[in-house]
Amino acid sequence: MFQRLYLLFGLLTLGTAAFGQYRGWSLDSINQLKNVPKSVRDNPGSYRSVYSGYHHYTGGK
Amino acid sequence: MSAGTPPLSGVPPKPQVKALNCPQCGAAIILRSFGQAETVVCESCRSILDAKDPKLAILQQFEKLTSDVHPLIPLGTRGKLRGTDYEVIGFQRRHATVEGISYPWHEYVLFNPYKGFRYLSEYNGHWNDISVCKQLPTDDHGSANYLGETYRHFQTSDADTDFVLGEFSWQVRVGERAVVTDYVHPPRVLSCELLDKEVTWSAGEYMYGREIWDAFKLPGGPPEAQGVYENQPSPVKTNVTAIWVVFAAFAIVLLGLMMSFDMLAKKEQVFQQSFSWHRDDRGEPSFVTNGFDLGGRTSTVQIRTNAPVDNHWIYLNYALINDDTGQAWDFGREVSYYHGYDSDGSWSDGGLNDTVVIPSVPSGHYFLRIEPEMDPTLSSIPYTVSVTRDVPVFGIYGIAFAVLLLPPLLISWRAYTFERSRWSESDHPPMQLSSGSSEDDD
Repeated sequence: MFQRLYLLFGLLTLGTAAFGQYRGWSLDSINQLKNVPKSVRDNPGSYRSVYSGYHHYTGGK
Repeated sequence: MSAGTPPLSGVPPKPQVKALNCPQCGAAIILRSFGQAETVVCESCRSILDAKDPKLAILQQFEKLTSDVHPLIPLGTRGKLRGTDYEVIGFQRRHATVEGISYPWHEYVLFNPYKGFRYLSEYNGHWNDISVCKQLPTDDHGSANYLGETYRHFQTSDADTDFVLGEFSWQVRVGERAVVTDYVHPPRVLSCELLDKEVTWSAGEYMYGREIWDAFKLPGGPPEAQGVYENQPSPVKTNVTAIWVVFAAFAIVLLGLMMSFDMLAKKEQVFQQSFSWHRDDRGEPSFVTNGFDLGGRTSTVQIRTNAPVDNHWIYLNYALINDDTGQAWDFGREVSYYHGYDSDGSWSDGGLNDTVVIPSVPSGHYFLRIEPEMDPTLSSIPYTVSVTRDVPVFGIYGIAFAVLLLPPLLISWRAYTFERSRWSESDHPPMQLSSGSSEDDD
């Protein structure tokens, strides 16, 4: 019983992985926005990224 | 241990008990085994009597020091065990002492005039259906073979009888000590009992308390089983090896998928441009790039940033914007590289490149809005941005591999912990086995 369930589970997992790869899934977290005004092309400053002013890690020990 | 001589054909006579009196106390003695029993115990004065003697000669008397011992299945109870009617005619309590700790268990003698004797044992809620072996098992070093099955040695211990009641098919005595060696092949157990110079082999099969209660229609419920018993069937019914074989097959298919998608991925670079950021530049720091086309089906877009940082950082606020629909993917990426030398030696952190993969980007005409920020100690820095369409994401395979691995790991762990509990009570506890100690070989 468990073996059948695992077989099904595995096929589902493989199918999901293949579908995700085909559809271009990614593991990176990206903020998606809609309807960014066309004026950005001419006036880039009219748009402000949500990531502006990010506190930068300066690395090192 | 034969079934005796009752008629095997025709209508069997209704079993009848035979009533006698105890020569010691005069209490009524009920004989239920049609003269098959060797000894019978007076329930009143605990005298062990010779059941073969018409006068019931007294063989042994033992003190009533175990008045708290009550059979869970009362003597005289009848039930159907594995399709055969049996009556409980005897009960004894025995115990083994290991490292100063007493481990008591109970044994019940069952009788059917056509089938003979059968036994039930109970220890901490674990039951076994036991019968005397039909063939003599072969005893090998550390194992025994019976009816084509190999049983592993589990434990050898001294078993003392400390309470008896009812009828027995052997000359039972309170205080007698036997050396009992158990071999297991769950759910079966093989026991070799050495009493004086007589060896008796019996085979048992694990039963759940509920089965016993149903068989004898006992009131209430059976005592809850404590711990893991020597021949208790594992709750892991699955063939663990087979699951690992299936997992291996899945891993191969996953590898095949990964290689196929990697080969089929276009990995088409659609944009690359170098920029330079100067602190002295006044005005709006953000700008947009030239447009580029992303073709084909909805797939990934990889944006790679390269900057020759050296103990500095540069941060880029990106927005990938669809020129036609206004749909945008907004994200920030940092390129930083730090290195040095301290008392532990040389160290480094970060790198000159950063890569991000944007998921499920439809085809269309796009451009990038870039807003750079940089380390205050830098006056200027060049950097290169490249955009690649349809790149494989290997992390998906990593996650799929981990997801596929989880069930076999869980089931193996469950099987392992159960077997570990089982064998921790044996003469071969897992710790000793793994440490390679030879002290357990007695």
